[in-house]
Amino acid sequence: MIVSTTVDRTSATSPVISIRGVNMVFTGQGGQETHALQEVNLDIRKGEFISLLGPSGCGKTTLLRIIADLLEPTYGSVSVFGRTPRETRLNQKYGIVFQSPVLYEWRTVRNNIRLPLEIMKIPKAEQNRRVDEHLEMVGLTKFANSYPHQLSGGMQQRAGIARALAMEPELLLMDEPFSASDEFTREKLNEDLLRLWQISKKTVIFVTHNISEAVFLSDRVVVMSPHPGRVSKVIDVDLPRPRSVESTEFFSLYSTIRHGFEGVFHQP
Amino acid sequence: MRNNIVAVTILWILGLVIAWESGAYLLSGPLQDPLAASKLPYLHAVLATMLANAGVLLEAASVTFSQAAVGFLLGGLVGYLLAVLMSVSRTAERIAFPYLIISQMIPVLGLAPIIFNLVRDMNASRIIIAAYITFFPVAANTLSGFRSVEVEKRQLLYSYAAGKLTTYAKLMVPFSVPYLFAGLKIAAPLSVTASILVDMLGSRNGIGVKLLYALYGGNMDIFWASVVTSSLMGIASFLVIAAMERLLVPWQVSLQSARRAA
Repeated sequence: MIVSTTVDRTSATSPVISIRGVNMVFTGQGGQETHALQEVNLDIRKGEFISLLGPSGCGKTTLLRIIADLLEPTYGSVSVFGRTPRETRLNQKYGIVFQSPVLYEWRTVRNNIRLPLEIMKIPKAEQNRRVDEHLEMVGLTKFANSYPHQLSGGMQQRAGIARALAMEPELLLMDEPFSASDEFTREKLNEDLLRLWQISKKTVIFVTHNISEAVFLSDRVVVMSPHPGRVSKVIDVDLPRPRSVESTEFFSLYSTIRHGFEGVFHQP
Repeated sequence: MRNNIVAVTILWILGLVIAWESGAYLLSGPLQDPLAASKLPYLHAVLATMLANAGVLLEAASVTFSQAAVGFLLGGLVGYLLAVLMSVSRTAERIAFPYLIISQMIPVLGLAPIIFNLVRDMNASRIIIAAYITFFPVAANTLSGFRSVEVEKRQLLYSYAAGKLTTYAKLMVPFSVPYLFAGLKIAAPLSVTASILVDMLGSRNGIGVKLLYALYGGNMDIFWASVVTSSLMGIASFLVIAAMERLLVPWQVSLQSARRAA
């Protein structure tokens, strides 16, 4: 057994997700090719909160979908928990949260959260326990028997997160989950998410185009640029939690990332 | 909201009664139309005839209606299975769809005697024609329901590694229920009309027979009573389906009222 002596928390464990030379080329109807991702290399460690940050067209969602086996890369290799993305999906090892809540409107909140557990063939008693626990965790216990349309947008998104967490997956994939929320709701949801992550210590990959959201949440921010989509920088966020959006350190990190983007945009 | 619906319904019925009665008065009174009783008799007179002949009318109606119902259920089932088949396989859709379209080109008036000559049984003919009328709106609407399922709803199940059967059970079928009901609501009154039509093609009983005999015999009271009975059958069939929809699709009904309120 290898015992690591380094004090650096993030490098103490070997990566759980390893992305090597991933390229994604979409061919349009007219035959024109779009390079959505070019030579992406990235290692993600166990328990890490990683943000994929960038403007639209940078391939951040594409990368997430490749990890989730919703897309296959044109070339390159991806390993998730030492297996292919397909095996990981078939073993139900990740939970995913989409940009919209994607709740089934004919199911109550309770039964929406139960959905993946039914498919995983988890015993009924255990299903109930997990559903109750996660309803409580996202503060929706009172709305357990409501239908999705009776909930506010923020509550719907929380139900979607509870549904992913109830699977108790090792990996949580989140595709701009709060981009449709207003600023106040978003801040609240960010705090909720961070609290849930600190309890569960799952590995989280979080796609966003919001710089301060990425800095607030992440251990590392993967900064991506468009045309072609690629990783331009990976920034460690060493600020202690809870982080204050108003602190000088926060602002300086925010500015660094922001300037990085300006460089991208001002290229001829 | 609830009171509002009741008020609207009462107003609607009241409007119909007033329009009908004043129309009948206009024909028989000021216009002195000698054919007033056959063109538009008083509603209260028609209702009185219906009451006086309630037994006969109900018996005839129940023959027609029950066979329309059986045909409706049969056609609904066939239509639904066709929709499932076409949604599962594009090839099946390409093969089946032209036939479905052609089937709607054949006039029922021409088809009914053909069916009767084939099966030589009035009851079976009624059922087959009612089913024939029903299956298309059900198949077309349900298929459009299957096709309307959002991509992300499917991807969610895909991320859970759900199989095809599970995908239908958990997503496609419940999602398409409101679409199925849209088809059923169109088909229900049509299946009643179809059953009445078959009555008229030489049946011994059924409301269509009453209608036809009264028309040929010049018995305008019975004719109008039969017409109103027939329409009530169509309305009843629609209301039954609408009530079932309220029961089986509670999320959809409350969704609609939420949208209306917004």
